[in-house]
Amino acid sequence: MTILSVENLSIGYNTKKGLLTAVNNISFSLEHGRSLGFVGESGCGKTTIGMALMGLLPENAAILSGKIHFSGEDLSRFTEKQWRNIRGKEIAMIFQAAMNALNPVFRVGEQIAEAITTHNPDLSTDKVNDRLKTLFNMVEIPESRMSDFPHEYSGGMKQRAIIAMALACSPKLVVADEPTTALDVIVQDQILKEIKKIQKAMNMSLIFISHDIAVVAEVCENICVMYAGQIVEMGTKQEVFKSPKHPYTKTLLASYLSLDSDEDIFVPDMMETPDLTGINTGCRFSVNCNCKSKNCSKDAPGWIDLTSTHKAFCCEQGLGRKQS
Amino acid sequence: MTELTKKNRFIIELKGIVKEYSPQKSFFSKCDNRVIALNSIDLGIKKGEIFGLVGQSGSGKTTMGRLLVKLEQATHGTIFLNGNPVTNLTGKALNNYRSRVQMIFQDPYQSLNPYLSISETILEPLNVHKIGNNDQRYEKVIHTLETVGLSPGKEYYDRYPHQLSGGQRQRVAIARAIVLEPEFIVADEPTSMLDATIAIQLFRLLTQIRDKFNMTFLFITHNLAAAKYLCDRIAVIHEGNIVEINTADEIIQNPQHPYTKKLIQVQPGFHFN
Repeated sequence: MTILSVENLSIGYNTKKGLLTAVNNISFSLEHGRSLGFVGESGCGKTTIGMALMGLLPENAAILSGKIHFSGEDLSRFTEKQWRNIRGKEIAMIFQAAMNALNPVFRVGEQIAEAITTHNPDLSTDKVNDRLKTLFNMVEIPESRMSDFPHEYSGGMKQRAIIAMALACSPKLVVADEPTTALDVIVQDQILKEIKKIQKAMNMSLIFISHDIAVVAEVCENICVMYAGQIVEMGTKQEVFKSPKHPYTKTLLASYLSLDSDEDIFVPDMMETPDLTGINTGCRFSVNCNCKSKNCSKDAPGWIDLTSTHKAFCCEQGLGRKQS
Repeated sequence: MTELTKKNRFIIELKGIVKEYSPQKSFFSKCDNRVIALNSIDLGIKKGEIFGLVGQSGSGKTTMGRLLVKLEQATHGTIFLNGNPVTNLTGKALNNYRSRVQMIFQDPYQSLNPYLSISETILEPLNVHKIGNNDQRYEKVIHTLETVGLSPGKEYYDRYPHQLSGGQRQRVAIARAIVLEPEFIVADEPTSMLDATIAIQLFRLLTQIRDKFNMTFLFITHNLAAAKYLCDRIAVIHEGNIVEINTADEIIQNPQHPYTKKLIQVQPGFHFN
């Protein structure tokens, strides 16, 4: 069953330079209980997608076109009042702990209880407390720390508390935006395991946003690679990371440092950021691309189907046949 | 080996370095629990080497970097630069030390002053240490900008930090650190805020600078893979103690300490099955 399907979504920011299309004509869908990862560099629009799914776009941003279907409704036309009913209850977000997602003047337990009582105002205090205990056990924070303030928590515990807050109303879909970026590798490993475990246990659908390809590979089954507001390649984890086809995905993978070997590490030249204001029909990666085709900067790239699940957005029609 | 050559093997040497932080006594404080950030560190870094210091948050790695550039004072122990103790330097001698040891900070969005143009940022060390006249300083800034890959230098000269991307900002921070041609640079997680494709370019830049000026680097990171790529030798630090020092390849392929093994194990990777 498809829980979320996004069709031709474009999101623009009103800036001094004019309209900036941060997300350009993207489509993807997510099956119930599955996980989808968005990976790309800063400024590629991945957080904007997350914010649009939560109805939290900033005031100077707007959905220009496209639809977001979730449980039979089109979220792109929702009013703030409608959003309030499903935000946190049906769709919840795991924010980055470093981004001050917790209020420093309220106890952690109270903040999570607020998420429960907002959507279940008739729940008795005892039941709310029971639910809190379950949540704290689920994310493995001792119950005795429930009435602590956020500053008494370590970075990893704060991130766990934020996960607990997102899970408070057992949402169907969870959007995790760089949940481990501020954490060191050991805590990151714990949090990723936690997220995977809970996702399985609760049979949730998960959208996971990160700039770190290995983190996305660890958590997600399907991957969308983004560049300059567009999805450039999508497929299963194996397809995208084992046999990448788009030149950008290849660059991203080749410059990733791992412990295995660094003989085949590729150092790209200084990358230019394409200008996203105005209308530009050509391939956005063409300035940095090492392909030899001359028309890429003018011709509009198209989707090339490689398998039933794997596709790449490129001008090079022979992409699927070429050896990577 | 005579005493003298023994001393001169290392450009930077730490002997028995201890750093304790004691919470300020105040009306509300319940106890005076001292925090031992570094516990009796002995370490030597060779000339022209990129030395990696790898550890978790709170392990004391940044404290060590700050001690080396003398932003903090060690509680016990001595630091040597080229065999000379530098722990108690003051006045002119301290100024001179600071021109020979520089630091690159973690966050290029915060370490550059938004009110200063790129040229003013890079000129500042030259002004402070009174090096050259105006024309020479101008030439030096242009030349340094081009060394760090911001060419043509003139184009960046009058820009401000907000007009640059994260990677370009960190290049400016590197330019500021190398403009005095120091002997030793502490790089404290210089790429943790940047994307992988940008980080790898900066690693290449640091290697080029090392080769060009024969500078020595201390590279502080929590990412073992980055340390392996960049460094000649790696020290693993855990709760203020150095638990293992070895060449980069040996640390990864043949880790001895259980903590090093754990660090290797938790490195995210592509597990296809």
